[in-house]
Amino acid sequence: MDVFQTLSLIVTDYTLRNVALGAGILGIVSGALSTFAVLRKQSLLGDAMSHAALPGVVLAFIITGQKTPLVLMLGALIAGWLGVVLVSVITSQTRVKYDSALGLVLAVFFGFGMMLLTWLQGQNIASQSGLDQYLFGRAAAIVEHDVQTMALLGVAVLALVAVFWKEFKLLSFNPDYAATLGFPVRAFDIALTTLIVAAVVLGLQMVGVVLMSAMLVAPAAAARQWTDRLGVMIVLSSLFGAVAGAGGAIISSTTTRLPTGPTIVLCISAIVLISLLFAPNRGIVWAWLRQQRNRAELQKAMLLEKVYQVSYLEGSPLQTHPLEELRTFMRGSQLERALEALKQDGYMHLDEDGRWGLTPSGVAQAEAILRERPRALARRPSPDGLRQEVVG
Amino acid sequence: MSSGNQRQAPLPIQIEDLTVAYRAEPVLWDIDVSFHEGTLTAIVGPNGAGKSTLIKTVLGLIEPSAGQVLIYGQPYEQQRRHVAYVPQRGSVDWDFPTNALDVVKMGRYGHLGWIRRPGVKDHQLALEALRKVGMEAFARRQISQLSGGQQQRVFLARALAQDAKIYLMDEPFQGVDATTEKAIVDVLKELKSMGRTVVVVHHDLETVPEYFDHVVLLNVRIIASGPVDEVFTPENLRRTYASRLDGAATDLELASAGVVLQSQEDGDGRVPNAQPDRY
Repeated sequence: MDVFQTLSLIVTDYTLRNVALGAGILGIVSGALSTFAVLRKQSLLGDAMSHAALPGVVLAFIITGQKTPLVLMLGALIAGWLGVVLVSVITSQTRVKYDSALGLVLAVFFGFGMMLLTWLQGQNIASQSGLDQYLFGRAAAIVEHDVQTMALLGVAVLALVAVFWKEFKLLSFNPDYAATLGFPVRAFDIALTTLIVAAVVLGLQMVGVVLMSAMLVAPAAAARQWTDRLGVMIVLSSLFGAVAGAGGAIISSTTTRLPTGPTIVLCISAIVLISLLFAPNRGIVWAWLRQQRNRAELQKAMLLEKVYQVSYLEGSPLQTHPLEELRTFMRGSQLERALEALKQDGYMHLDEDGRWGLTPSGVAQAEAILRERPRALARRPSPDGLRQEVVG
Repeated sequence: MSSGNQRQAPLPIQIEDLTVAYRAEPVLWDIDVSFHEGTLTAIVGPNGAGKSTLIKTVLGLIEPSAGQVLIYGQPYEQQRRHVAYVPQRGSVDWDFPTNALDVVKMGRYGHLGWIRRPGVKDHQLALEALRKVGMEAFARRQISQLSGGQQQRVFLARALAQDAKIYLMDEPFQGVDATTEKAIVDVLKELKSMGRTVVVVHHDLETVPEYFDHVVLLNVRIIASGPVDEVFTPENLRRTYASRLDGAATDLELASAGVVLQSQEDGDGRVPNAQPDRY
């Protein structure tokens, strides 16, 4: 299936349209929420909650015998909330730290859920088949009604963030200070957690419990690379979430036996990888290039200064030197690169005899470098001092 | 600075019988102290003495086990507008995506209340606050690109933007450069001249007499409090820095307190009867 066919299918094919829309909206919602989760150092909260939701889903089925999404979602919601409450109780009542408490709740709830699921599968109950789709998600099961629910949540989240923008910012940056101004930190915590639980529950069908957590961390982590402004970060994060969600859902729906959740997560991971490598300022590639450039500049300055000092000592700053003589200042390839760069800058020249020397502007530049140095570092060519340095 | 109930005008800060405990261990024990209008007070004491806890309790961030704090005669919740807070610089993540001016504007949020965004007036006030700490050139600078001292000044500017009557500062001099130290001292002087009440958790004993007019010596209990001339004595300092467990200072505490006392004596002789030999 080529790209054009896929695109036309999104418009015409009912299932594919629902899947793409649903995953896109999920991406927007989780992208916006992940910004606050990441900035508040609560990236793992979504992780713990999505895993904690699994036993809720299975128990809801065991108790009611029904597999309607609403019932199962309710189970997930209750279990997810219970997980959050438990984490909060553990951190406040014991000496166990926040991250450890998250890990504990995550493992215990998820283990319990897996146990129930496995037990159920051994029970020979025909209607239980399909529950395991909540592990890795199955986008094809999305119907229009689900998309509408997601859209509703999406609008609610974005509206809340827009209206309480100033409060969200302050409470994320400096909660203690916010509390002294009279803003309810605890209520904000609960509101944000509730929104995240809601996003997790909606995401369960789409990407499953295992990978929903990635959607609550990755978009914001990628977005932070590109901007230093909170507003831009939220927009980018939502955009990344939407692209990965819709893109991943479409790829998995149009390819046989490709699970939706992992495909979406691979898409967002690709965005994270690109962001980590290539984002200006923060990207690893640019940082590396910057470092190389700085190093080259330093080597040039160093060579210029030394040639100036030696030439000055020998009588004239414009004195020329054979390449071999300059080798005492710098290793082979470094020296040639620095000489070539200085020639490009017009600070040094190579005469017919193969001797290197400073140009008048090179002399001016070397003197400028020496002037700008702190006094302690600048070894001005006073005859005695310089002779010692050159000899030694 | 003793507690007294017979005054007519309520004091800026009055702390009565205050005890704070994390779990069983008391961090503050039976604190009675008040702060008067127009004073610059340093809270001094060893690590773990409860200095930060004291101002956090005043701010309602920590629930006391017993006792109460009154701000102009009323609970903090009713007097928030009058109190500005400078938290420790290390208490936030400076990699947060925002700039210096935006952080200072947060000082206006309490006045704005819910939902309303900062307007032109708040913008002007924030810029003015940045100017007072010598940071107006850095208004649009991403906060992670500021030096530690500059970040501290941004926090100070944010408190100034609150335009409060009482300023509570948690270690504003911690690890700052000379420029910042001077900027903070200038702000403290200006606040005093405007009749504001300033309480500063302070680490550097040497600068206490120079920067402050009042001092509270704290080590879980109040060891002494009052005008610097009267209570900032070697004997009181020794008692403050002595270990709680056996009444004798540890070697480290002795060394730090002893060194400081000696240099006080060598300096301007402000501390009488200093006898370094005894330590």
